[in-house]
Amino acid sequence: MVVTVEAEQLVKTFESRAETVEAVRGVDLQVTSGEIFGFLGPNGAGKSTTVRMLTTLTTITSGRARVAGVDVTADPDETRRRIGVALQEAGLDPRQTGRELLTLQARLFGSSRSAALERAGELLELVDLVDAGDRLIRGYSGGMKRRLDLASALVHEPEVLFLDEPTTGLDPVSRLVVWEEVRRINELGTTVFLTTQYLEEADQLCDRLAIIDGGLIVQEGTPAQLKADLKLRRGIDGEPTLDDVFLDVTGRTRERVAGEVQEVHG
Amino acid sequence: MSQLLVLGERALREAKRTPDALLPTLLIPLFFLVVNVGQAAKIFPSGSTPFLEGQNYAAFQLPSALLLAASFGTSALYLVEEIENGYFDKLRAAPVSRTALALGRLSSEAVKSIGMTTVIVLLALPFGITMATGPLGFVLLVVLTAGWAVGYSAFLQFIAMKTRSAAATNSASLVFFPLLFLTPNFVPRDLLTRPMEIAATLNPVTYVMEAMRSLILEDFNWTVIGRGFLVVVVFVALMLAINVQTMRRYD
Repeated sequence: MVVTVEAEQLVKTFESRAETVEAVRGVDLQVTSGEIFGFLGPNGAGKSTTVRMLTTLTTITSGRARVAGVDVTADPDETRRRIGVALQEAGLDPRQTGRELLTLQARLFGSSRSAALERAGELLELVDLVDAGDRLIRGYSGGMKRRLDLASALVHEPEVLFLDEPTTGLDPVSRLVVWEEVRRINELGTTVFLTTQYLEEADQLCDRLAIIDGGLIVQEGTPAQLKADLKLRRGIDGEPTLDDVFLDVTGRTRERVAGEVQEVHG
Repeated sequence: MSQLLVLGERALREAKRTPDALLPTLLIPLFFLVVNVGQAAKIFPSGSTPFLEGQNYAAFQLPSALLLAASFGTSALYLVEEIENGYFDKLRAAPVSRTALALGRLSSEAVKSIGMTTVIVLLALPFGITMATGPLGFVLLVVLTAGWAVGYSAFLQFIAMKTRSAAATNSASLVFFPLLFLTPNFVPRDLLTRPMEIAATLNPVTYVMEAMRSLILEDFNWTVIGRGFLVVVVFVALMLAINVQTMRRYD
């Protein structure tokens, strides 16, 4: 079993004149090659910051991270060559066409112009955007943008694909399409590190998952293990869901969450 | 180098697709040129005004218009947009040299400025403006203006990376106006009042403007031209170094 993503006591502190915020407070993680690893947590728990550290986008305050065998801090460029990244916002340039964006991305990873064009064509086919490939991205729907973002993370056939909340804001149909793409990419041998707020998504897609809260990992295991553990610990009669696991380990209750939602809308 | 070309090419494509952002950078300087000449041309008739070297007042005002056209730095606003929509992170997550990332957009600013300067000078020719230094002088004028455009865009790009705010970047672009008004904009430096002369002497833009003016009005005055180029080279080198450093430390 090869460990592809490894974090040891990862810490990220943001300092401003007014305050110091410890967004991630010592995360330990191990993701093995070929799995879809889910990274869950409530808003502000430290999910995106952890992903940003692992993908070289944010410096690591302390601790160590290795991705695809490369030390993230010591050799960020080599790390970047081995990973694909699709962040929370579908990071796309609205003034380019889908084909231009993919071609540019491939060229930034070192492909020649003709090889980049060929790769762009393959990827447009993979994410079913051939017909829209020569239209400006600003005219794409949310689902199309997500699929293009996924495709752009795959131009160089990365060993590890980081997906930060890839289905946030998508309608149910587009969400299912993205799930299909993620499964397909994983079946081709790519390890997937996925953050999500949707527990159903984690349940459907992930082989294993970790839950982060307050900048620390509070639970880790396969979805089945986590549910079985909760059933045993709490003596629950029925079958607990991943929602129950999440609420249990983050110290939240349905009542409190409902109350928070009511406050927002009130 | 190839990464720089790819990123520069993209920025040019972006400019081509947003003519609504490009047009004001041409029309506003031309507007200032027409208005300034309209207001002061009668005070400075070409026959009896020695500093015009036999040309009309529009020739004297042309460098202000060229500098203004080179100081809009719209690409910095596109950068803020990219920071906000996440595409900047996408580029940063690729194994792209941070230098290429910083210089990609700036290289397109140089190309845009070359086009813009050429168009403004060509539009000015029918109004009796000539290049006293001929084709070589024209080339030097274009290079000097493009250099300034790169330096000023780099300054705005630095503000964009530091603040990540369109409002702050927009406000920073206005810094050029006091700098422009503290130059020998309407008359040569020796005709300014003493306090304005001191301010103009301390203002580096003055030397760029004087070099441009020299290329248009006089035969090659290498001292004046050299000073202008020196200011631009130092300004560009400083701004590029700051940009690359900021890009490397961007967190």
